[in-house]
Amino acid sequence: MHAGCAAAVPDCRTVAGMKSARIDLPDPLDARIGQLQRQLARERKARQAAEAIAESGLRDLYESKRLLALLQRITDRANATDTLIDALDFTLGEICAEMGWDFGNAYLVHSNLEAIPCDCWHVANPDHLMPFVEASHTASFPSGMDLPGQVVADRRAHWIDDVRTDANFLRRDVAIACRVVGGCAFPIMAGGEVVAIFEFFSRRSISANACVIETMAQIALQLGRVAEREYTREALLRDALHDPLTTLPNRVLLHERASSAFSRLPPGQHGLAVMVIDLDGFKAVNDKFGHDAGDCLLVATAARLRDAIDECVGGESVCRTRDADHQRANKTRATLARTGGDEFVVLLENIADEDLPMTIAASLLAELTLPFSIGRDEVAIGASIGIAQSNPTYRDYDEIQRDADLAMYEAKAAGRGKTVMFTEALGTEVRQRMSLERDLREAITEQQFVLHYQAILDLGTSTVLGFEALVRWNHPRHGLIAPNDFIPTAEETGLIVFIGDWVLREACKAIGRLQAKGRDRNTPLFIAVNIAPQQFLQPDFVPYLRAMIMETGIPAECLKLEVTEGVAVLDAERTRQVLEQCRDIGIRVGLDDFGTGYSSLSYLHSLPFDTIKIDRAFVAAVDQSKSRKIVRTILDLAGDLDLTVVAEGIETAEQQAALTAMGCEMGQGFLLSRPLDEAAAFKLLP
Amino acid sequence: MKGIIFNLLEDVMNHAHGHHAWPDLVDAAGVSGAYTSLGSYPDEHLLALTDTAAAVLGLSSADMLRWFGRSAMPLLATRFPQFFAAHRHARSFVCSVNAIIHPEVRKLYAGAGCPHFHFTDRDDGALIIAYQSPRRLCPLVEGFVAGASDHYGETVAMEHLTCMLDAQPLCRIAARWPA
Repeated sequence: MHAGCAAAVPDCRTVAGMKSARIDLPDPLDARIGQLQRQLARERKARQAAEAIAESGLRDLYESKRLLALLQRITDRANATDTLIDALDFTLGEICAEMGWDFGNAYLVHSNLEAIPCDCWHVANPDHLMPFVEASHTASFPSGMDLPGQVVADRRAHWIDDVRTDANFLRRDVAIACRVVGGCAFPIMAGGEVVAIFEFFSRRSISANACVIETMAQIALQLGRVAEREYTREALLRDALHDPLTTLPNRVLLHERASSAFSRLPPGQHGLAVMVIDLDGFKAVNDKFGHDAGDCLLVATAARLRDAIDECVGGESVCRTRDADHQRANKTRATLARTGGDEFVVLLENIADEDLPMTIAASLLAELTLPFSIGRDEVAIGASIGIAQSNPTYRDYDEIQRDADLAMYEAKAAGRGKTVMFTEALGTEVRQRMSLERDLREAITEQQFVLHYQAILDLGTSTVLGFEALVRWNHPRHGLIAPNDFIPTAEETGLIVFIGDWVLREACKAIGRLQAKGRDRNTPLFIAVNIAPQQFLQPDFVPYLRAMIMETGIPAECLKLEVTEGVAVLDAERTRQVLEQCRDIGIRVGLDDFGTGYSSLSYLHSLPFDTIKIDRAFVAAVDQSKSRKIVRTILDLAGDLDLTVVAEGIETAEQQAALTAMGCEMGQGFLLSRPLDEAAAFKLLP
Repeated sequence: MKGIIFNLLEDVMNHAHGHHAWPDLVDAAGVSGAYTSLGSYPDEHLLALTDTAAAVLGLSSADMLRWFGRSAMPLLATRFPQFFAAHRHARSFVCSVNAIIHPEVRKLYAGAGCPHFHFTDRDDGALIIAYQSPRRLCPLVEGFVAGASDHYGETVAMEHLTCMLDAQPLCRIAARWPA
């Protein structure tokens, strides 16, 4: 092996002055060797320099590819996830792994004031680092304090070369104990605000090169987009689940919460109650003062209801947080929701005292008795409240809500400011009523009604003067049903108008057939038809009457209408007009059940009736002097006012004799003739 | 084989035997290549070069590789000081080879087939270094370990428990650094 020792020192004789035309080398071979050796040394240096440049470039390229891949992974996750926390969780782990940092931790930032922990952190190797982790993942830092606080204050990334010597680093002692050295933290911005921060620590110092800074900024940008998406979604969800006017939960959220509460009911199914609150008098305020005033009233009402409920159950009437269920497992909780225009619902969970709903209801009603100020006006509203409580018979929440609604309608029907607690008996009653209503509607379309006729006689001669048409319902399952069993429901539901029209039409047709039988009589036979107040006051009642008469071609004087005093109570003026129009046509109108209701003499005076009917109660008691006096008074009065009188409910010969003796001209009753079908009734005629 | 190994050999040869040593060795070994750190060259070139050097210097091939590894370490310390600064003892430096040094090597030299070492602590305090590579360069490993020990001013005693050169599936080298 050649152990070379020639130094490549340039010889001062080597190169001549620039002016010389030739290079003068004293020993051409040695000089050439020396020159080549120097050339070789230069080439080697050049190669090493080139290698160094290339290696540096390769290292940078590798680093940037690595960071790009990191950014890509985080971007992919950020695009796929719905929550910032999930994206942060993934990001912390990825960054720690890629950068070789020991611990990553995230904070949420509220109102640009404070970094608060969100239990989102990653530690590569917990050995000896846990005290620092514990001190970090539960800590909050106000703006300016510690590393996260500085990021909150400056809205930019911060790097600490050595946290052990940084005076503003509050976790310094535990950092020293855990041998933490380098730290850095980055802001995550959404909508121009810092919404979260992620920080990293390493046992070595963390170098802040441009590529890393840029990558972290890009990662923060991706996370910021996740946050913006999440906030937008939350806002949409909030809007979808809350009433924008009162900010109370809406029907959807109520249903969600109630269904969930129902599914968590203990065995025995007790502890849940639903209160349906319907405001009384709200519509009038809305109509009188306008929608804006109505909205203000609703907001004020919601606030009062909320306060009253808070008072009763301890400040949780509106639960907006996503607290863990177990934290509130045994605590009474109330959710106040606005479920309709002027309807609110209170969902009560975990009720220990079953009187609580009634207590709350009383408190709510008391709260609403104080007037509200609308501008310069004061208005008073009230509420009707229906309550239903869970029990083992309910299969789902909707059934409880349905019964609470039903109880509320009962409260409403009972008058303002009432509370009704749903009971099984009430349910049965209402269900029967509803079933009857359903059947009635069917009866109208299927024409299940028939008319029976009870003869009205001249008490003196016992001759038939006419008939009263009485409707019967020929129910397909229950057979013939008497009017008392369905007319009240028909009146409540308004179906009476349809039934009344049918009765009127059928009666007119019957008059036509009756006419044929009694053609040779001096006084034409009549049929009296009972007209419900709602029907009588229909705007098109008289035109309908006229049309019926034209259609059937009967003489108007053969049709007699019977109305009760109720019609005059509802609208005396309208009643007078209709009566006069009836008279104009030639139809006679009688006042039914006289003596039982208001029996206001002013009606008799101002309303042009033709007949009054003495109620069966007086007829039944006509053997008693008090009743007899009343009957006599009515007869006298009728005589004075030129009204004919019909006594109804005559069941004994004594009653007939007494009435006849007092001068009562006409009568009807079981003694004289029971209600019969048309064929049997008309056979009574000679 | 990565060019960096040839560069190290060039440097140690020139350093020990003058700057003609490397060109002479390349000529004598009958190999030819640019041998830039960024390139890759046939393993046979390195073996031809070390075997030729061994023959000229009167060493066994294994001893030549041991000398090469040990002599290369100061050069590596100059070139990559950050790998050495993080350690205070040869043992922890050696143990960092898989986790830190080789990943860094791969950053610079794409496709570098760095060998994976497996380290276990024996009850008597010895570090068992398991090495498996088709190149079977276990003497070079021994040289590097010795060189690292020199760097930290320590002495190391190594013993080949099993060796691929003896037709064993892998090499297990026990290294002991007396306290």
